Amino acid sequence: MAWWGSQDALTDERGALAVLAAAAHAVPYPSWLNTGDNTWQVTAATFVGLMSLPGLAVLYASIVPKKWAVNVLAMMFAGFSLVLIAWVLWSYKMGFGSTSIGGGVHNGVQTQLSNVGWVKHFFENLVGKPGQVLNSVNEQGQAVSAANTAVPFHFPTDSLLYFQFVFAAITPLLFLGSVLGRIKFSAWCLLVPLWSTFVYGVDAFLLWGGGYFAQEGSVDFSGGYVIHMSAGVSGFVAAWVLGPRLLRDRRNALPNNLVMAAVGAGILWLGWNGFNGGDPYYAGADMAAAVVNTNLATACGLMVWVAMDAWLSKERKPTFLGAVNGMICGLVGITPCAGFVNGWGAIAVGAICSAVVWICWNFLSKVRPFSKVDDALGVIYTHGIAGFFGGMLVGIFGDPNTLELGCGNLNASGQVINTTQQQYITAHGGCTPFGINGLMYTGSAHQLWEQFRAALWVIFWSALVTFILMKLIGLVLGGARYSDAILEVGDLAIHGEEAFPEETLAQRIGVGSMAGDPESTSLASGEPDRAPPGAEGEH
Amino acid sequence: MKLVVAVLKPFKLDEVKEALKTLGVQGMTVAEAQGFGRQRGHTEVYRGAEYEVDFVPKIRIEVLVDDAQVNEVVDAIVATAATGKIGDGKVWVLPVDTVVRVRTGERGSDAI
Repeated sequence: MAWWGSQDALTDERGALAVLAAAAHAVPYPSWLNTGDNTWQVTAATFVGLMSLPGLAVLYASIVPKKWAVNVLAMMFAGFSLVLIAWVLWSYKMGFGSTSIGGGVHNGVQTQLSNVGWVKHFFENLVGKPGQVLNSVNEQGQAVSAANTAVPFHFPTDSLLYFQFVFAAITPLLFLGSVLGRIKFSAWCLLVPLWSTFVYGVDAFLLWGGGYFAQEGSVDFSGGYVIHMSAGVSGFVAAWVLGPRLLRDRRNALPNNLVMAAVGAGILWLGWNGFNGGDPYYAGADMAAAVVNTNLATACGLMVWVAMDAWLSKERKPTFLGAVNGMICGLVGITPCAGFVNGWGAIAVGAICSAVVWICWNFLSKVRPFSKVDDALGVIYTHGIAGFFGGMLVGIFGDPNTLELGCGNLNASGQVINTTQQQYITAHGGCTPFGINGLMYTGSAHQLWEQFRAALWVIFWSALVTFILMKLIGLVLGGARYSDAILEVGDLAIHGEEAFPEETLAQRIGVGSMAGDPESTSLASGEPDRAPPGAEGEH
Repeated sequence: MKLVVAVLKPFKLDEVKEALKTLGVQGMTVAEAQGFGRQRGHTEVYRGAEYEVDFVPKIRIEVLVDDAQVNEVVDAIVATAATGKIGDGKVWVLPVDTVVRVRTGERGSDAI
């Protein structure tokens, strides 16, 4: 508006400015929401989602024989979808709901911090009340869960729901590696939502949702137990119930594309930045530390496996798929530790987990029961054993000064004011900083003991429930595995598709009225059938 | 007319092709092939399991030539493809009854 405008226009202008000024103070979201935290949470979640699709899907589909690639992809995409549907309808609230069955956790508050006897304590803090998260209040309201009792969440329920969904989704997809190459597609589609409900929902609540083990002091930063060890054990048990793949498939388990395996593995590694970086629930200092620790442990894990392959294996060659195994060991091992250890701890965790798993992979695999169960991709080693050791190592390398949550200071009007590192580390006001007292720093083995108890539970529960579910599914479907005749063929018999179809050898039959069909298009437009333009004239 | 078939080390393809062009050969067909001769196979390692691969990658070349040109074509292939090491491959020559150029229907030497 021009400066020489009339008096009226000037008044209008002032009015408009006043509106603008008012708008500058209004924010389009509630006051409990922090845009940085919320943005990171959903971004991190998306990273983790990419680890499943396409990361894990492509990795697994590339390291199985060519005839199984489509089957792996189909089960990956179906599994991801099924977990989300179950998640919003009932299972999110089982893992992360604000109230437990029995009421030990009520509206996000742990009500039984005084001693109530372990049986009552355990069973009333076992699992959240199932329920849907579909209406607007549920989706957009502030996240409330005993997963975090120190500082209220700065984002809505859907940010927490989606972040936790991608974790819930990748877990059964991980143990697909144990059962692929013989499990029925229908059996898989039953197993995934049931397993997610009864195994994942319970373990997630116990360790993460503020349940019994969380209250007792066991920690699992991003899922060494709830995700990886559980996936390893469940896959192993499911593979045992199913029986082995065909002898020919076991003898000739050649990967079909190492380049695509590299793409999947790379997405897995970098996606892990969201996996571990998202678990502090705030885009703060521990987020960055967790990301760097994760990458550091992974690099060490990878190089340790490569070195052991090159110097200690029978073939004495630094194999690429060995490097991928080492990478996964590092990633899995650091997962329960990422934001609780410092950089030195991360190096140790990555190296130890990779070395231990390498030894198990090469030697333990020859001992019963490992030699008798056909865990197709060795999930029990790279996820089960690496997850167990990572979870235990928190109790050793947990650094009390590496804080998942520190305490920034707020002034009277609730704005963050200057906080020194020392103030951040030590308690201030109503906030208690959260770090882990590892054996190495405090001389106390208490955390190690808490980690061990939780590990025993997760192993027991995952194995038991997976066994029951596999038996039930077998009964319902008349066997959970395909007949040998179908297994001989693979993808073509099950899905009618192959991973690398040969264009020159395939000819269309039974041309119908599908959209995009050149013949039906020409019929619709009333033109007679003829060769496409350009086909004539070049005789 | 003769058909010259050569199974050679893959990295020799360019040199052999250039040598044949210099001789005025009008065309050739190349296919990737797997095979074994006196050269042994090799082992591969995937996820800790060792696999024996008896066949090694080769290229297979086919060239149709007039009787008069057979010897110089064979000599050129052998001269350019030889490294002196085991696994250099083989060249053999077959008699050809007839050749027809698909586009024009020409037969015999004219079709080469």
